[in-house]
Amino acid sequence: MFSYIISEKRQVRMMFRYEVKKVFAKTGGKIALLLLAGVLVMACWFAADVLYVNESGEYEYGITAARKLREAQKEWMGTLDEEKLRRVIEELRRIDATPQAQSEDVNENNIAYSWQQGVLGIRWLMVYAYADGFRDSDYFRPDSLDPEVASAFYSNRIRLLKDWLVDEYDSAYYKFSDAEKAFLIKQYETLETPFYYDYLEGWKQLFAWYPMAAMLTMIILGYLVSGIFANEFQWKADAIFFTTMHGRNKAVAAKVKAEFGIVTVIYWVMILLYTAFVLLYLGADGAACPVQVNWESWKCLYNIKIWQEYALLVIGGYVGCLFISFLVMFISAKGKSAVVAVMTPVLLIFLPSFVGNIDSDVVDKILGLLPDQLLQINRALGYFILYELGGKVVGAVPILFVLYGVLTLVLMPTVYKVYRKS
Amino acid sequence: MEPKNMELTLTQVTKKFQDTTAVDHVSYTLSNGVYGLLGVNGAGKTTLMRILCALLKPTEGGVTWNGQDIYSMDEEYRKLLGYLPQDFGYYPDFSVWDYLMYIASIKGIRPMAARQRIDRLIKQVGLDKSRNKKMKKLSGGMKRRAGIAQAMLNDPKILILDEPTSGLDPNERIRFRNLISELAEERIVLLSTHIVSDVEYIANDILLMKEGQIVLSGTSEELIASMPERVWSCTLTREKVNDYMKKYKVSNVKTVSGGTQLRIISADPPTEGAALEEASLEDVFLYYFGEKAGADDVQI
Repeated sequence: MFSYIISEKRQVRMMFRYEVKKVFAKTGGKIALLLLAGVLVMACWFAADVLYVNESGEYEYGITAARKLREAQKEWMGTLDEEKLRRVIEELRRIDATPQAQSEDVNENNIAYSWQQGVLGIRWLMVYAYADGFRDSDYFRPDSLDPEVASAFYSNRIRLLKDWLVDEYDSAYYKFSDAEKAFLIKQYETLETPFYYDYLEGWKQLFAWYPMAAMLTMIILGYLVSGIFANEFQWKADAIFFTTMHGRNKAVAAKVKAEFGIVTVIYWVMILLYTAFVLLYLGADGAACPVQVNWESWKCLYNIKIWQEYALLVIGGYVGCLFISFLVMFISAKGKSAVVAVMTPVLLIFLPSFVGNIDSDVVDKILGLLPDQLLQINRALGYFILYELGGKVVGAVPILFVLYGVLTLVLMPTVYKVYRKS
Repeated sequence: MEPKNMELTLTQVTKKFQDTTAVDHVSYTLSNGVYGLLGVNGAGKTTLMRILCALLKPTEGGVTWNGQDIYSMDEEYRKLLGYLPQDFGYYPDFSVWDYLMYIASIKGIRPMAARQRIDRLIKQVGLDKSRNKKMKKLSGGMKRRAGIAQAMLNDPKILILDEPTSGLDPNERIRFRNLISELAEERIVLLSTHIVSDVEYIANDILLMKEGQIVLSGTSEELIASMPERVWSCTLTREKVNDYMKKYKVSNVKTVSGGTQLRIISADPPTEGAALEEASLEDVFLYYFGEKAGADDVQI
């Protein structure tokens, strides 16, 4: 009995191994692997593109630039309290008053810029914190701030939001229900302040290029898995496949497992190599900072840390890749063709970009729940797209995880059933 | 343990595709031995075979294996099957060895047993030297041999071969026929073809299929004996050939010195002095399938 079970397991492993081999033995499979390597190199290349301006006003790039930037910003590391903000404002004013900053010579301006690189992240936060309106920004405003306004840094964030939500001349007034407005204000008010400030370049670069890497990986994965079912028909091997003992059960399950295995291994290898490269190259400092420390997320309604954003990003990407891959498999099993199936990820990823130009709240709410959002959770975290479910207001991000997690779990057995009945 | 008397029974099997009836109320019982299913293209042979392989469900009627419905038996039935489809599909980038190992795994053969069986089979079908060759690099005949090897992997009780010799050169066909004869012991072999000589040599029973129905069955001798008309041979001038071709069923035309020799199927002598010939299965085929038997797709 025991040896029978072992033998059964070996058989199942063998089916799985050959299913994977079918995918990569093809020339197309090998080219796809090369393309994946290319995507990884490209994403790492873009992410490593860090600029530092030295004290002579010259540009520096690469790992030296990253190290110097890190050194400069580390000097301002710590709690971003009123005292530190005051010092930052004073420093910016001091730099702005220098002949180099006042000069009309670009190189002189660059020298002035080089002095403020340590506080550049905080300077950008001030661009938004001291703006005239919630949706405004004035890049030069921090240079002329009175140090006395340092105390209003965090309260301004809440005030600007409240003003925006009650402004009858702004679309936000009509866009959000009272419950949604209350939810947004509560999210802003419950954000823990003062922030802890740290060098964040590694995470920022990682987040910036992750969506591109994830989307291209998904398109290539879509191509790879589209043939797992459809190729049996394309190669006319289906007749033999379905007349074998396991042809309508374990052999089909092996195909589903192969898809799951290919997506899982390729996705995580790609993302973990990308993460390892970027964080080793640029540094992983700042993981415990709130996401709002990154000026691009200053308005973010989700009160989470940088490491949590990363976790959401990579897990979201994985759920997205699994869902889209199973959808591709479903379409290829139903249509018995890889042609339509292989287009599915491309459509799901690029179509929302075109539809997104339509100015409509309903369209926004629909787009906010499309699976492409899972491949760019860092961007989804920045959107003010809210849903009222059973009287409770929730953002798109938690819904995306639950919705596509469940849909993936439903698709898995559905794909199996559809194919075995072919 | 399998019962000694294996019986695959078709009862009033009918398969309709929209307006077309591909298989029309076929009832037949197959037991140990080689069966040749003979018919022109479109006669319903492939549909019938796909039904027997549980790839298609009949619109009406049923198929049983020793009294059990084959569709209810599910994998227990497929375990007994070996199938070589007419349009043999394979995995082009797999080597012969990998292809057979994969098929063995989905046929439920344990890896150790599969290795031994494949080793023996690829020698038997003459693919030993090509075991590491990719399937897409094999010649047509070699692919067919790989096809028969995969069909035999699980030592099937029911071996269904759909047009196994189509596209093969004469040498390959002879080799293939011998191979099937070797493998035919202790099992049901159903062989469909439109090449009369293939079944004449190896089939114990021949089923003639026409327009979805089995119109005649029996041994080669029985079928020949059942033909109500006789076979004549006569030599004519070339000018008369066309008239005779229109008037009679002509199974062969041969140019000889002094005219053209025709082989004619007719109840009465077509000409004075026509010689009575011994009928062959090819003549039977022509008699039952008429003009269609002379179409491009039929080789007799």
